[in-house]
Amino acid sequence: MTADEPSLRVGIDIGGTFTDLSVLDPTGIVAVGKSLTTHGSPAQGVIDALGELLRTHEIHASRIGRLVHGTTLVTNALIERRGARTAMLTTEGFRDVIEMGREHRYDLYDLEIEMPVPLVPRNLRIGVPERILATGQVHVPLDEDRVATVAKEFVAAGVEAVAVCFLHSHMNPEHEQQAREVINDVAPRLRVALSSDINPEVREYERFSTTIANVYVQGVVEDYLAELREGLHTLGVRDAPMIMLSNGGVTAIEVAQRFPIRMLESGPAGGALGAVAFGRRTGDSDLLAFDMGGTTAKLCMIEDAEPLLTHAFEVNRVYKLKPGSGLPVRAPVIDMIEIGAGGGSIARVNSLGLISVGPDSAGSEPGPVCYGQGGDSVTVTDADLVLGLLDSASFLGGRMILDVESSREALRTQIAQPLGITVEDAAWGIHATVNANMADAARVHAIERGRDVDRLPLFVSGGNGPLHGPGVAQALGSPSYIVPPAAGVLSTLGFLAAPPSIDVVRSRYSRLDDSLPRVAEALFGSLEEESAELLESSGVATGDISFARSVEMRFEGQGAEIEVFAPPVTETADWHVELEREFYDAYRRRFGPVAPEGVGVEVLTWRVRATGPDPHQALAFSSTRIADTAVKGRRSAKFGPDTGYQEVNVYDRHLLCPGAEITGPALVEEPESTLVIPPGGHCLVLDDQAIRVELGADKGPTS
Amino acid sequence: MNEIQAAPTQTDKADPVVVGLVANRLHSILDEQQSALINTAFSPVVRESYDLACAVFDSRGRMIGQSSSGTPGHINAMATGMEHIVARFPPNQLSDGDVLITNDPWMTAGQINDITIATPFFRNGSLIAWFASCCHSPDIGGKILSAEAREVYEEGLRLPIMKLRTAAGPNRTLEEIIRSNVRTPDETMGDIYAQVASNQVGARSLFALMDEHGLDEIDGVASAIMDRSENALRSRIAELVDGHYPATMQIDGFGDASLVLAVAVTVEGDSIRVDYTGSSPQSKHGVNVVLNYTRAYTSFAVKAALSPDIPHNEGSFRPVATHAPEGSVLNCLEPAPVASRHLVGHFLPSLVFEALRPAVPQGLPAASADALWMTVWRGVTDEEDGQSYFTLTSFGAGGSGGRPRKDGLTTTGFPTGVRAAPTEILESHTPIVQTTRELLPDSAGPGEHRGGVSQRLRVRRRGKGAWSVNANIDRVDYPASGAAGGGPGRPGSFTRVSTGEALPRKRQVFLGDDAEVNLNFPGGGGYGDPRKRPVDRVLADVINGYVSIESARDDYGVVIEYNGPLDAFVRTEQMFCINEEKTARLRA
Repeated sequence: MTADEPSLRVGIDIGGTFTDLSVLDPTGIVAVGKSLTTHGSPAQGVIDALGELLRTHEIHASRIGRLVHGTTLVTNALIERRGARTAMLTTEGFRDVIEMGREHRYDLYDLEIEMPVPLVPRNLRIGVPERILATGQVHVPLDEDRVATVAKEFVAAGVEAVAVCFLHSHMNPEHEQQAREVINDVAPRLRVALSSDINPEVREYERFSTTIANVYVQGVVEDYLAELREGLHTLGVRDAPMIMLSNGGVTAIEVAQRFPIRMLESGPAGGALGAVAFGRRTGDSDLLAFDMGGTTAKLCMIEDAEPLLTHAFEVNRVYKLKPGSGLPVRAPVIDMIEIGAGGGSIARVNSLGLISVGPDSAGSEPGPVCYGQGGDSVTVTDADLVLGLLDSASFLGGRMILDVESSREALRTQIAQPLGITVEDAAWGIHATVNANMADAARVHAIERGRDVDRLPLFVSGGNGPLHGPGVAQALGSPSYIVPPAAGVLSTLGFLAAPPSIDVVRSRYSRLDDSLPRVAEALFGSLEEESAELLESSGVATGDISFARSVEMRFEGQGAEIEVFAPPVTETADWHVELEREFYDAYRRRFGPVAPEGVGVEVLTWRVRATGPDPHQALAFSSTRIADTAVKGRRSAKFGPDTGYQEVNVYDRHLLCPGAEITGPALVEEPESTLVIPPGGHCLVLDDQAIRVELGADKGPTS
Repeated sequence: MNEIQAAPTQTDKADPVVVGLVANRLHSILDEQQSALINTAFSPVVRESYDLACAVFDSRGRMIGQSSSGTPGHINAMATGMEHIVARFPPNQLSDGDVLITNDPWMTAGQINDITIATPFFRNGSLIAWFASCCHSPDIGGKILSAEAREVYEEGLRLPIMKLRTAAGPNRTLEEIIRSNVRTPDETMGDIYAQVASNQVGARSLFALMDEHGLDEIDGVASAIMDRSENALRSRIAELVDGHYPATMQIDGFGDASLVLAVAVTVEGDSIRVDYTGSSPQSKHGVNVVLNYTRAYTSFAVKAALSPDIPHNEGSFRPVATHAPEGSVLNCLEPAPVASRHLVGHFLPSLVFEALRPAVPQGLPAASADALWMTVWRGVTDEEDGQSYFTLTSFGAGGSGGRPRKDGLTTTGFPTGVRAAPTEILESHTPIVQTTRELLPDSAGPGEHRGGVSQRLRVRRRGKGAWSVNANIDRVDYPASGAAGGGPGRPGSFTRVSTGEALPRKRQVFLGDDAEVNLNFPGGGGYGDPRKRPVDRVLADVINGYVSIESARDDYGVVIEYNGPLDAFVRTEQMFCINEEKTARLRA
């Protein structure tokens, strides 16, 4: 291999706070870096951070063969309302769909709730005469003159982008397409998006909202990607970067520009893909990925080495993170729940005289009491410190000394005294409560998807993941948990382990009868063609593409669908009967044995996911350090409600070699986090430096 | 945990950490139950609009917790209604696999469309808990839902508390009776099956929770949760100024006979007594409320006003005593017709707020549109395709009341938790065509914090065939009043588009092929003096068309001039300006 051969792969993740980078070669990790995100000029920030990392490690940019990039840019543009001046052209009489929403008071008792503010203000939402019926039949023809007049007025009003959102356009896109032609004619500089292109699915509020969000951020994303491409080129990177999508696939810049809304949540998607990649190596194709940071925790189920996907979510929740307070977006996204549980989560005795934790957080400023930065509310980190699970001297590699006495004092006055329990029990109560909250959330998440979270190994990441993951695993009855190396830049490793992929969708009602195989073959065929084109434009060879077909089904008359993987279509066999059987199985798994009798089954939505080849990326550090012993010291810590403090070994993660074994109770430290091995836990360092902890038959405490 | 196992019923000894963990977990279990119900339901009423409630009860039928969505009338009526169910079927008459059903208005939610499914769950042969849900059935036979009936017997099929299923399977006779009595057999039965399934989903998770914590029963922890909720509510009540707080409200009633709702709230120490003496006697028409439903909305009002953060369970009812004279519209006696009881019951929270306002330091919102507007559409699907019929129940919200620190919510129900269904869904289910669904300018009550804006809805049909609508609506004669100096919201109206004539409410109106009807929903009342509303907010309301230039001048004292072209469709910020001088004069 010559120095010039472009064999290096680079992953870059711009998060809200940090920009993470990793550089890999075919044997594993060459370099990792973390820097503060520059919000002013994010593209320049990426280029500077990469340039810096390459200089430090004396790597020439021409060696970079593949660069995958994920960013929170789209999320930020929506939250900060930095998108284009956007207007909406809609069916006369329906300009307020995006403001009225579902007319839902999403919290019954809270008199202070707030509703999401639409991206398009009312004076830029204009109805035009036209109407298509639910059957797709034209009821009122489109008034093209009106469209032309309004388009010109939009231009005069400084509008840059317009979303064309007509009722029932998913059944018949004719009027939307006609309107686009008229607008292109009279106002060629206006950026136009059609709801029948962006999200051809029934339910107007969600479709309109998605379409508007997409066109609203499109300009911002285009400028950013152009600047990034140019900057990387100047730096010496030959190929254009690939973009990480929210569905866990990577794609070419051109595709990302068409569907910028699909770049939402790409960072967390990278974390889930990291879990998939490590799980493949350890033979764990089913996992619960758990990431816990300073303010929130995220959970995602991995099944058959694929993260579960969902097709609807909310961005920019404006009231206490409550569902219903955000803008609905329908796009394929890794199905992840985020809960207000982190190291900075505030613990208190609630109105019932019980310990409650979060969802509010002391964040990093003022932070937990023990930071000594003015924080005076007890947090999870304070409890962990008092329990001895965290060490005051080695936190963040010793860069910050924690004040355990002030934590203890705050626990005494805020929790222990009001409840009449000891400081140690109060600390344990907080630790156990936050763990149980996360376990509860994981359970609801799983059950709502017809899955069983029990007995799944946990994949643990994030600054507080290794500290609380073990407790979550115990509360869920998990047999084991896995902790990857370089967990701090896990998402970028995930980017590089992900194959290129794209999801396409179409709504089409079909009943289950023997005409279905023909319908299915035609629909799947055209979806596969469409998705293959998109992947080929990302540089994937036609022969390397594989397709996964699924349908969303329900009993006739229901409003919610179940996704069922479609068996291969065969002309002769009773394909629809097989499909029905799959549906019944899935239904029973989710809702128990009470399925309605004598009711037909229907298919609503057809999906194809096209995937390119797996990059087969090795994710271990290329070199490791060798030492006589990995034990760096001993300290006393509390591991359960009924046990006292126990004196245990503390290990240095970076001195643990593959094959090393540890029996709990013990603690393993690295600068970014501390790993808990509970009593009965058995820890083994794997070949790729990931750590696997088997929980003993002694299930240990759940509270 | 060990403490709980050792002394399960001594709630004072229950480990607070464990009680907290179980309480949180029950909350998530109920969300699982609710989401299973929504995902398996058939009628748009349940699956799109969430006219439902889910709850878990201890072995004695005391409510321990409720799901987070749903609607208060169902939740609270189910909580107090469970005592009837438990009394009718004591544990020795129940076995594992039994599922109970009832829609008796006086036992549960006050309307025979509301079907409660309650499932007792057993462990080691003992009944340990109940899961139940209450859903509005799209049809229950009898008259199509309105206030027209003179007796409850005309309103549809009444199901006493009985077994819907046993371990042996469904009660086929009962299922057939239901199917042949209702206009929507598939939807009605499909929803009932969804209710049965969702109770099981809840129980499955409860059993897992009990396994983990080594619990044989949950009554001990349940008592602790209830006692703590009760105490928390009592301490909130104790913070109020003791006193006697009366209020009255006039509402449309039926035909020309308007109704008066009167309340006197007495705050004394850590308890509250709510007395509706002075309210109108029970009506000849179906707007009557059973005591269970009156208690449901009273308890909701007290909780929303004082303790939105405290979990809702049997303990929350204990500090609130509700009285309504027998034979009054708020405590009607059999066989009074009750189908449109929500058109009276939904006003109780705003009425109680009006009374309690002087006692609550942080203030309480002005009156809302309050009664949920429910329309039931029925007709021939399409003459040319033979005689099949459609029945559709649809909901819509007016504006909610201005709040002490914020505007009222636009097109958002209060006190109901029911949602609207998408136009595209309604139209693909039925030949109904909504020709307009948009915000209604100047509908919001003026105020420093104005009321929520309401909507205008226009409906016609496609195809040919006879059809009808029952508009179960209120606040057409009497608007939502303002508070603290705010103005009233605009009253609603129900008219024929071609002639503008007002159409009769709360009864069946027959329509021709080409008929189009218009519903203007009521706006929310304003809060605080409108002349104190910041001028730039009034300007923003005018630019966006929530408030007209005339109303800005007359109600808010803000003079705004429009300088743009008169035929402009797009009216930008730059086309409007404030006449500072005239505004200063008006606001002086």
